Amino acid sequence: MNKYLGNKPALALFLLPALLLYSVILIYPVLQTVFRSFYDWDGLSTAAFAGLANYRELFNDPLLGTSLKNGALFALVLAVFQIGLGTILALVCANPRVRGRKLLKTAYFIPVVLSVTVVCQLWIAMYDPTNGLVNKLFDVLGIPYQQNWLVSPTQSIIAIAFVNAWQFMGYQFSLLYAGVKAVPEDYFEAATIDGCGKWRAHWHVTLPLMRETFKFCFTIAITSGIGAFVQMLIMTNGGPGTTNYTLTFMIYRYAFMESNYGYACAVSVLLVMISLVATVVINKVFDRGQHA
Amino acid sequence: MNNQRKGLSALMITLSMTLVLSACGGGNNAASNDRTAANTPAEGGTVKLKVYAQHFDDDTKGPFDYAVAELKKEMPEVEIELDPAVQDGNQKLKTYAATGNMPDIYFTDWATLQTFAKSQNVEVLDNYEATTEYKNSLNPGVESRLIAPDGHVYAYPDTGIEFQVIYYNKTIFDEVGIATPIKTYDELAAAAGKLKAAGYVPMSIFAKEKWITSAFYNGLVTREDAAGFGALDEQGLTELPQAFVSAAEEMEKLQQAGLFDANATNTNYDQASSQFYQGRAGMFVNGQWEIYSSAEKLGDQVDWMYWPAKDEATYEASKYNIAGAGSPQGYAVSPASKNKETAVKVAAFLAAKSAEYKYTQLGSPIVSPKTDKPIASDVPVMMQRIADELLPNAKEYAKLLSNTQIQNAVNDNTQNMLVDGFTAEDFIANLNRTLSKENQ
Repeated sequence: MNKYLGNKPALALFLLPALLLYSVILIYPVLQTVFRSFYDWDGLSTAAFAGLANYRELFNDPLLGTSLKNGALFALVLAVFQIGLGTILALVCANPRVRGRKLLKTAYFIPVVLSVTVVCQLWIAMYDPTNGLVNKLFDVLGIPYQQNWLVSPTQSIIAIAFVNAWQFMGYQFSLLYAGVKAVPEDYFEAATIDGCGKWRAHWHVTLPLMRETFKFCFTIAITSGIGAFVQMLIMTNGGPGTTNYTLTFMIYRYAFMESNYGYACAVSVLLVMISLVATVVINKVFDRGQHA
Repeated sequence: MNNQRKGLSALMITLSMTLVLSACGGGNNAASNDRTAANTPAEGGTVKLKVYAQHFDDDTKGPFDYAVAELKKEMPEVEIELDPAVQDGNQKLKTYAATGNMPDIYFTDWATLQTFAKSQNVEVLDNYEATTEYKNSLNPGVESRLIAPDGHVYAYPDTGIEFQVIYYNKTIFDEVGIATPIKTYDELAAAAGKLKAAGYVPMSIFAKEKWITSAFYNGLVTREDAAGFGALDEQGLTELPQAFVSAAEEMEKLQQAGLFDANATNTNYDQASSQFYQGRAGMFVNGQWEIYSSAEKLGDQVDWMYWPAKDEATYEASKYNIAGAGSPQGYAVSPASKNKETAVKVAAFLAAKSAEYKYTQLGSPIVSPKTDKPIASDVPVMMQRIADELLPNAKEYAKLLSNTQIQNAVNDNTQNMLVDGFTAEDFIANLNRTLSKENQ
């Protein structure tokens, strides 16, 4: 192995194509975005240097508060629903005594392979205030909770986030299921022999040993929530008004509707920074106490 | 070993940065690039021109195909290569501009023309002979369709100034006992109450698209300020004028009276139009272009009405204020076209012939250039009313609002007006904030 790693020219040669590709499709656009965020630029004309003007304007933009709040809510719904429910389902499906496990595993993953547009249209119909399944369900159950799900300025973001959570729960489930299966059964058996109940053993043995899996799942859920866009675009077009805006929707508006690319780049930089901070925090939280 | 590692890292970083910086420095001067490969003169003196235009349904295919067929007779040496436009907010066209691949001729709107004018991706047509001829051929009142607010000509328009009206189902109105025409906001609110009580959606509106809520609001504003949104595009104006405040208050009252469906902001065009055409809604708001579909689907059951006003006197005084503003749009020419002179002539020709088709085959009087050919088809009664009653008496068209930020704020907030809990005060405060920022 050392012999191969010691051959630096060969190492450079083999790394170069991947490094170039990575630079072109990732590093270059990121650097360009940061660079352009300091300019007043409409996407076509020569850009004029604006210093920090875009950032100053951004922090006074009323859309920023709405977008940050919506991003946080979206991320919270994804984290709670996808990881919470995904973990329970993964533990259930990992139990060899549960019948129909294969069917359940397939069923949970089916929404993931559906088109986002199809899923959104399906839920638009289900959220319809007059004829939708959700309100009908409350009606049938005798719960007086008839809502205009996608119009309400306070509920619509949660309703939309739930659609994303429902569709991609199967993806998180598959990661969590793999995590559960990676925990050696001996530990679990030892805990039960020591008198632990099944769920108590999972709580004290299985879940702590899935730390790395959870770290990855939370990173995906939180960053997806912060950068959510497609569901809002399809289901409410960001409305009513701007109530369902997120940072990505802001980028879409300023770049493609207002041709204000410099400002949109500043929003993009903020989005990247927030995602990076969220990733670092998640890593720190899950690494805490690991090496103690 | 350590030095080798450092050297290797340095090499990698240098390569990456070289790539990045070389790409950063890559200018994008649209006008300077050699492009439009499609227009290279071929053998036999043929001039190939690439045209980017809408061509996806009968309404868009008919005029374009007719214009191209006429062009074959008039300029047989010109060969048109169609690049069908997609409904993407002109993103494909902007990508062409950014990558230096502009078609010779393209059809676009004022927002895009403004960006292209700044980046020199549109030919200024002021001094071309075709422009002089086009100006002379214009119908009265539509000059703002050709001449931009900055005084330049960037594109040749085919349609005239389009506007919004309120359509209503006469059968439903008779059934629930609503007298027409509705002249005041109070009458409209009362009609909404009657329709709702009878189980109808009073007014179907595809408010998932923000422009239509904005158009509805503009309809109310133009009853008291004929300039409409154009009045907001004024340096120093930091507060909504009274006509806009009153219109917002009236819109709130109408919303509270139940004029719109509770799910209106989540209703698209297909849903809203089918509500109206299936007899589930009493009224429908859209542009005059909806006349053809509504006449086809509802026959003589449907008619349009003027916008109501605060009282009958204002209604009578303002009924011929047109709730539509003329913004420049149409067939523009790329400065990089290798056959620019021919492209300009062809652009003007396509626009004129497209208008000719709309007038002669569809009977639409809403066209920019005049045509000397007679109408060759049955004109819907509603369109005939526009031609005979509205256009000859038109007092004033609304003025153009060029500021995209103000327009977007109006769009967002008028959509919000259809939601319970959003008040006229919220609307006014939000708009005043935008005006303060944009007009100071």
